[in-house]
Amino acid sequence: MRSLISIADLTNEEIEEIFSLADQAEQLRAARPASGQIMATLFYEPSTRTRLSFESAMQRLGGSVISCSDMKSSSTAKGETVADTAKVVSSYADVLVVRHNWDGAVQAMAEHADVPIINAGDGGHEHPTQTLCDLYTLRKEKGELKGLTVVVCGDLKNGRTIHSLVFALARFGAHVVTLAASGMELPQYVIERLEREYGYGLAPVASNDLSAVVKETDALYLTPKQPHQLALFTQVDEVIQARLNTMASGLRYDAFYMTRKQKERMKEGTNDASYPTIGAAFLREQRFQDTVVMHPLPRVDELSPEVDKDRRGIYFKQAAYGVPVRMALLKFLFDRRHETMPRSRGAAISYESPEAIGPQCRNPNCITSKEPLSAPKRFELFAIGESGSVILGCKYCDHRFKVQYVGNVAAKRYCSYDNTLTSNLKEWLKKDELAIFDSIKEAEELGYEPFKSGPQRVLMGEAEIKQALVEMSGRILSDCRDADRLLILGVRSVGSQLAQRLAMEITNQRQRRPELGEIDIYGSEELRRLNPADPDAGPLNLKDREVILVDDVIYTGRTVQSALSIIFRSGRPQSVRLAVLIDRGHREVPMRPNYVAKNIPSSETDRVRVKLRGLDQEERDQVVMYSLISPVAGSQPFAAAGDEKPAAK
Amino acid sequence: MAETKKILLERADLAKAVHRMAREIVEKCAAPSELVLIGIRSRGVHLARRLARKIEEIDKFTPPVAVIDVTPYRDDRRQEQDGAMVGAIEIHAAVDDKTIVLIDDVIFRGRTIRAAMEAVERIGRPKRILVAALIDRGARELPIRADIVGKNIDVGAGKRVNVLLEEADGIDQVNLADWQEKK
Repeated sequence: MRSLISIADLTNEEIEEIFSLADQAEQLRAARPASGQIMATLFYEPSTRTRLSFESAMQRLGGSVISCSDMKSSSTAKGETVADTAKVVSSYADVLVVRHNWDGAVQAMAEHADVPIINAGDGGHEHPTQTLCDLYTLRKEKGELKGLTVVVCGDLKNGRTIHSLVFALARFGAHVVTLAASGMELPQYVIERLEREYGYGLAPVASNDLSAVVKETDALYLTPKQPHQLALFTQVDEVIQARLNTMASGLRYDAFYMTRKQKERMKEGTNDASYPTIGAAFLREQRFQDTVVMHPLPRVDELSPEVDKDRRGIYFKQAAYGVPVRMALLKFLFDRRHETMPRSRGAAISYESPEAIGPQCRNPNCITSKEPLSAPKRFELFAIGESGSVILGCKYCDHRFKVQYVGNVAAKRYCSYDNTLTSNLKEWLKKDELAIFDSIKEAEELGYEPFKSGPQRVLMGEAEIKQALVEMSGRILSDCRDADRLLILGVRSVGSQLAQRLAMEITNQRQRRPELGEIDIYGSEELRRLNPADPDAGPLNLKDREVILVDDVIYTGRTVQSALSIIFRSGRPQSVRLAVLIDRGHREVPMRPNYVAKNIPSSETDRVRVKLRGLDQEERDQVVMYSLISPVAGSQPFAAAGDEKPAAK
Repeated sequence: MAETKKILLERADLAKAVHRMAREIVEKCAAPSELVLIGIRSRGVHLARRLARKIEEIDKFTPPVAVIDVTPYRDDRRQEQDGAMVGAIEIHAAVDDKTIVLIDDVIFRGRTIRAAMEAVERIGRPKRILVAALIDRGARELPIRADIVGKNIDVGAGKRVNVLLEEADGIDQVNLADWQEKK
């Protein structure tokens, strides 16, 4: 069974095969190859064109269509996961067509569906059938894709289709000129991937070349490099730069691909004048006499109606090609029902954390954070370049981020990742012992210890900690307006332990026990929440409470930020005050504790830990500090280390 | 009741404060190219634009200015459904690995800044977040600090601090009035 989630699921040959099927759309229509088959369209986001052209394509193939007019009002509203929906609808239909507003949602559904599934757009991630239509239009109009020069214009940053199109053009060896509206440039990672995977170089295009389209330009010319001719563009020397410049001057432009001007995105920072437009001036220009104009529609005013009447304006044709291309795709997938899905997307290694707390995709719109039940956190592991950095790519949304902390599951040891550890990493991975963490705090939460650390210094002893808590509870009581409304919330686990002790001191001074709760900040969205300390008690009511948030150490402040965000998701307290045992500086977010027992100047390679009796078999209460040392180099300190770096997201 | 109004900053004082704040932003940010200013609607936006111009004078680099409307994130109106919240984010700058400066006219209880941080968190992961406010009137209800402040004032809850900016109000002035009256 084959599905289409990303344009990368198809080889160039297969794309060509789909195109020749599309050329025979009339014959397909007569043959009715989908007779008796049912297609289900599940659109979680509105769309007219994509949906109608899919439904038209299926009916022209002789099949029939079932759909849900509004997914938001269906069982989704009752909380059904996309995984369950995919499973259930699979038994009603022979193929599913899905559009969803979350990145990676269609991949997650494909993992649970029993029939082929087609991605009709998933959040900001991909829209492969649009890309197929764009390529087909170009091929129809210009013959061959190889060697074409396509100018992509306008919003190159936000459009999900534009990135897929650029990569697809690169696969077929086309040249790309980017002409972005100011502030909407092609993201750096797209350019880097073109350079890395397709060997593309880039050169600036002479600004007067495109003056008929836009007033000021810093257009870029992206082109496949000839072997032995050009070095990596990151090390471009003058000779190569000159050669690239020559290539970029006097270009023959085959097509302009306009993107929709989204007024709402233009409000700030940019003005209308910077958005490329095609109108009379473009049509008059001699050099554009064979240049076709494409647009995914709907348009605003970036494309004047004069272009409609010109033979070069082919966007209505482009829209019409949507049906034959989708007919061809459906036929292609039906013919391959008994094939298995090729895993052609790169040679990366799959990675899934063996620990309960592991790395999180950083993309807030990814299915793995929106609905973790449907999408277990799976990644692809890439080792990039000589710098030795290791990159995790989300299997669902392709979002990539650097690995910061690694650990060995068997040894229960962690360290900050640096390139000296490459061989260790390979070995751990082979033995399934590689743990990856977003923060040191996560590792410590799982009971991991550093591989190697410097001598330990005791900053606070048992008596001192006790004294600090007594004083703190006194200050909390004198500051609060109504002690009956106090709610003590500790951050799991050490903060929570401290919160219990603080509550005890308050009880001693007041003869009345304040309400106590715990905040869990690790793991996915649904695990991060507020719990009452007493499991039998009802849910905590935050309304008009005076919350005292308790943690052991404040460092970057990100833990506190996460905790605040969880608190405000659960209710509206009257105030939140922060109590910590240690403030060690180095803030990354603007958090300021109200109660601090001790300020400790520290360097970034230091670790400050509060060890409390009753947690992790500690025998006494103490606050210690030590520095982290790389397990391999022996003497080399870590480049970066953190107490509470990301609490993810 | 014009007599109950007390002027805290005149035009020239305000200009000086903005200039000083711009300097502090530059000093606190290691690499100017990673700076992104985010103005909180609506006076924060005007201030962000002014700061961007000042930073350009100092550093020959114009940081991008983005806008954020935190109304949908305010905890005091959080009962509305999730769908309505997403549409109102207006940040169209890349925030990943950037130093973000959240800019508002007045910082008081800290709730607006918290809401703004939540909105930023939804679109990416900045390297650092700083808070800049023309006026810090203290009396915070949340453990949030302002890193860059034009002027600290200490007034009771019964008073209202009005920041008037030429772009919106036709005059540059900061004054103190009773809660009831507008401006």
